[in-house]
Amino acid sequence: MSAIQLTDIVKSYAHGPQVLHGVSMDIRDGEFAVIVGPSGCGKSTLLRLIAGLEQVSGGDITIGGQRANDMAPQDRDIAMIFQNYALYPHMTVRQNIAFGLELRRVPRAVRTARAEEVAAMLRLTPYLDRKPGALSGGQRQRVAMGRAMARDTTTFLMDEPLSNLDNALRTEMRTEIKELHGKLKATIVYVTHDQTEALSLADRVAVMKDGHLQQFDTPEAIYDRPANRFVAGFLGQPAMNFALARDLPGLRAPGDSIAGLRPEALSLHGTAPGGPALRARVTLSEMTGSGVILHCDTDAGRMTAVTPRHALPPDPGALWLGFDPARVHLFDAATGTRRPAPAAQPHTANLSA
Amino acid sequence: MTRDRMLTLGALAAGLLFLSPVLYSIWMSFQTANAYYTGTLDFTLRNYAVSIGDYGFARYLMNSIIVSGLVTIAGLAMATMAAFAFARWTFRGGNLLFAAVVATLMIPSHITLIPNYLTLARVGLLDTYAGLILPAISNGFAAFFLRQYIRGIPRALDEAAYMDGATPLQVLWRVIVPVARPAILSMGLFIFISEWNNYIWPLVAVSDQDLYTLQIGLARLYKLNPGEGSIDWPLVMAASTLTILPVLLGFLLVERHLVRGITMGAVK
Repeated sequence: MSAIQLTDIVKSYAHGPQVLHGVSMDIRDGEFAVIVGPSGCGKSTLLRLIAGLEQVSGGDITIGGQRANDMAPQDRDIAMIFQNYALYPHMTVRQNIAFGLELRRVPRAVRTARAEEVAAMLRLTPYLDRKPGALSGGQRQRVAMGRAMARDTTTFLMDEPLSNLDNALRTEMRTEIKELHGKLKATIVYVTHDQTEALSLADRVAVMKDGHLQQFDTPEAIYDRPANRFVAGFLGQPAMNFALARDLPGLRAPGDSIAGLRPEALSLHGTAPGGPALRARVTLSEMTGSGVILHCDTDAGRMTAVTPRHALPPDPGALWLGFDPARVHLFDAATGTRRPAPAAQPHTANLSA
Repeated sequence: MTRDRMLTLGALAAGLLFLSPVLYSIWMSFQTANAYYTGTLDFTLRNYAVSIGDYGFARYLMNSIIVSGLVTIAGLAMATMAAFAFARWTFRGGNLLFAAVVATLMIPSHITLIPNYLTLARVGLLDTYAGLILPAISNGFAAFFLRQYIRGIPRALDEAAYMDGATPLQVLWRVIVPVARPAILSMGLFIFISEWNNYIWPLVAVSDQDLYTLQIGLARLYKLNPGEGSIDWPLVMAASTLTILPVLLGFLLVERHLVRGITMGAVK
């Protein structure tokens, strides 16, 4: 059992600010949990608290049913992958991978076999006798993973392990990590600021801001039913459009509501469509390969829409952005919390820019 | 002549200028006293045989190696542990304690001479190896230097080792020490050379000839040959050459690390 329970975790530093404000999470055995949030939101601190590298100021950490607050890192039986890999520069790849086993007095023959087995799994066999300085970024990252995997543990903590890799390698490694999770059936807590990583890897995503947990749910739930305006704006590329609900035609919502519309929820029309729509003037378009991101000015404010290239209207300079009121998210203007889905009102007129 | 060539020649000339007294003394050590005083050439190895055999330089050499070697090993061990603690642990009074360590750098060593002598006399350690070694083991400069180096080592390495199951001592020994090897070796050489050249403390702490270090033995050569003109300079130079030889060898062995240690932090 390697479930992790965090109950009202508080972390503050002497003469410093409070970094975590009562974070509670229940990470299930074998679950891939991703903690995501902007820089300084406390996600790495939370991971370090689980690892035991820092002490909690309040609350409880339970690992595998055991209270772990006062356990030293080496007693928590957790493997960790660091953002900068933290490979031992004076050791070969083989020694790096086997170091944890050596410290646990595993016989040499066993640990060598284990290191070679892990290296084969990670396609590192040709590099076993090299030192980290002679490896590429991707290879180093795999060694860091190998070091964690060689340990006979079922709990892994990963602190932005892909952030130092280029885009292509990051995509490749992301797939490998996901496959690895499937193979190892391990509990993984993964910290990232990259929403694509979060959504593609996680069984559940925890979104954090300013030391507060905003939402902890499946990627689908987080994306489709964000708990508040911050979560809605943080996840999604391009980001969700926000406007005053009263500025959107065909929407029945309390007057102080903020409406959120995903860019992909906006449909592009050369002429006024039948349903609710905003007249828009395109100010900038970005080609992303298969699609185009259009930045538009509307009466409800700036809006971003995405469309496949072949679906661009003949005159992309001026167009209509149609939307389905059922796909509009509503948030309280003051608190930012989610409100029930809006009701559509009988369509009367479209607003023109 | 190109600018580079001129610089090379200039550097060569400066090097020779600094080296010339050493080269001259080595040259002189292979001559007989008679040849030296008459300005003739008469090469011999006798000066080395005499200084080692008749004047007990083999014994002094062994004493110097024992004392400098043990001071270096023990001093490095103490300084490395202190540096690790100062660099990595936060504890009450830590900064004050570190300031006290740095403050020891500002105390001239001669001020501690008499208190050290009285302390060792009281515990009966005068005229012993321990008396020569113990006062030199605590080295504030080494602790300060190594602490600065260790602070430059990413803390993530320690943390990775803790996660791998290491204890703090294992982190120090298996991770920090190997990574800090250039700095530790450089500091080791500095400690070794300064202890090797130490003259005052062995002179004060030891009166038993069997415990003389090379520097004391070298001074004894002058005492045994008093009066200008009657000093056997080739013999003195042979003894001096014997004195610098081990240090020179040590330097050549760790030169690569020494340069890395000195230039650390200068470039990434």
